[in-house]
Amino acid sequence: MAAAIAASLPAPQSAPTPAGPTYEAIPASMSKVIDIEADIPLACVQLDGMVVSKIIKHAREAHGTSAHGVLLGLDLDGTLEISNSFPLPHHINDDDDKSVKGVARYQASMLRSLKEVQADDSVVGFYQAMALGSFYNQTLVETQAIQQEKLRHGGVVIVHDISRTARGNAAFRAFRLTKAFLDAYKRNNFSTESLINHRMTFSSILEEIPIRIRTSPLLGAFLDTLSAPSVSAEPSFTKPSSALPPSFSVLNLGTNNVSKNLEQIIEAMDAYKTEEGNLAYMQRQIAREKGKADAYVAKRKDDNAARIAQGLAPLPEEDVSRLFKIPVEPSRLDSMLLLGRIDAYSKTLEETSSTALVKMYASRGSAVV
Amino acid sequence: MPLVPETSALTIQNGSPGFLSTPGRTPTSVTVHPVALFTILDHYLRRTESQDRVIGTLLGTRSDTGEIEVRSAFAVLHSETAEQVAVDMEYHHTMYELHHKVNPKEVIVGWYSTGSNLNTYSALIQNFYSQEIAPHQAIHLALNTGVEEGQQSGVKAYVSSPIGVTPKPENAVFLPIPCELQFKETERSGLDLLSSVSNGSTDAYPATDLDILERSLQSVSDMLDRVLSYVRQVLVGEVKGNAAVGRYLMNTFGASTDELEKGAFNTSLQDTLMVSYLANLVRSQAEVSTRLALATAS
Repeated sequence: MAAAIAASLPAPQSAPTPAGPTYEAIPASMSKVIDIEADIPLACVQLDGMVVSKIIKHAREAHGTSAHGVLLGLDLDGTLEISNSFPLPHHINDDDDKSVKGVARYQASMLRSLKEVQADDSVVGFYQAMALGSFYNQTLVETQAIQQEKLRHGGVVIVHDISRTARGNAAFRAFRLTKAFLDAYKRNNFSTESLINHRMTFSSILEEIPIRIRTSPLLGAFLDTLSAPSVSAEPSFTKPSSALPPSFSVLNLGTNNVSKNLEQIIEAMDAYKTEEGNLAYMQRQIAREKGKADAYVAKRKDDNAARIAQGLAPLPEEDVSRLFKIPVEPSRLDSMLLLGRIDAYSKTLEETSSTALVKMYASRGSAVV
Repeated sequence: MPLVPETSALTIQNGSPGFLSTPGRTPTSVTVHPVALFTILDHYLRRTESQDRVIGTLLGTRSDTGEIEVRSAFAVLHSETAEQVAVDMEYHHTMYELHHKVNPKEVIVGWYSTGSNLNTYSALIQNFYSQEIAPHQAIHLALNTGVEEGQQSGVKAYVSSPIGVTPKPENAVFLPIPCELQFKETERSGLDLLSSVSNGSTDAYPATDLDILERSLQSVSDMLDRVLSYVRQVLVGEVKGNAAVGRYLMNTFGASTDELEKGAFNTSLQDTLMVSYLANLVRSQAEVSTRLALATAS
């Protein structure tokens, strides 16, 4: 049923069925009302094989961790099918108005061009590449928050870890902001009570959606042809016999970027310490101001009680908030994000060291007498 | 790693260096990145009913030794009838500008088409593209999807050179040049993932690092079993042993691990243990810290 409605929506789909029942297209004015797809919550994300290789290539070629781009596809029956993607040019300054407009123009003309060759042209999310596991940063959260409001199903952000791919495990993860976090973000209130109210820890900022990878049969057939070893009369021992020989690079005993990973953990912890120091300072200031305000109110009460005892008119109770400026409680979003980064970095470190341990013990095991 | 078996057709040998400095020389070999291949396949799948084959532009880099590296591709609108062929160059320019913004190093190096028949239209289009990127010569990549009967899927690369008495653009012969698949090692695992998915493996995604390690070790163990059974057969006398194979095996298994016991390996092992412990500690610390923030009511 959902597929039938999807086929009759004004978006370009495959060639029309020749001799089946004719579906009447829902007029564009009504399509917002009868939006059946929006009611089905997203349960799974399906990545096309081409998108996988495109993201890996872009992540490898971009400098540092600035590789991001847009995902295109369709949502169908609770599954978000991502069929294409394109990279966005790297803008140096986000606040610069011109560069923001430039990116928007780029995106619009890319979408137009893709539409002409019958590719899907509806934006369903964006992807971000990073190294060594850290993707908790301000820009990601902001972009995802904006996107989640605009897109129909709230877009997903696909995160790709390029260092994990280099180690032999192509890693794609899809995330969405949790409702609790979106709530707090909209109100822009990250003070302590709001955190407690929403029970927010760094692990509850993003929720993960399972990913499924799909290759079209043509792609699968092509890959099979490439990896099939060609039979020749004289097998050589140095040249591999197929275009895509199996790789065993995951069995290498190496340093696995341990030092870089440790450096980044230390950096993040330093930043966290500074942040916590700032927070504590602000808390102390707030407490001090509050103490002064309370002392003033108490003194006023005492004075009034004394004056009533003496029979004079009581002094007016002044509005305390005008006299003492109690500063606003600081936002704890940054420290939460930093904790998330520390956690992510150490998780990567843990994984690399555990596989390294296995390999080392295995290679040593053969040498033990 | 050639993509198609060797042919005895004409190939171009270009030994002297200085390809970039003297444009107009013919390219000598092509390396293709898998992304370009997949994009072409995807475009082929999305073509409309009326199109038999699709064409598009290839982007990549040129090296000084005459090697062309094809890094990505995009589709171009074109229509082909019995009388004429039309290519939307405006679209081509727009898309090229967009792609160039993201990746300034990639330039137009040629064009592709699915289906391996090279007819007059191919020559015309080739001429078009050569004019676009003059003075460099355009390469043509013919990708056969293997969908039709009797045609094997594969990729062939060509350059054109004029032939015949009159220098008309249709009078050109396509000379094949060697074509290879090339990718960086870091992207290798992505391709592995795709081929395992296409083979219908039901392993859960995402696989942890230990799963991948287990699979690798399993395949190495299988290979060792095969080698062992072969050696046993040769010893018994069932199969005649190949001397080259025997020597190769002896070289491979000759490595000894006695040096591992000394010094650096052990300290490295201890370091890894310590790092693992520290990482766990940091994680639990972060978790405790964030819960503490929740616990203190102001």
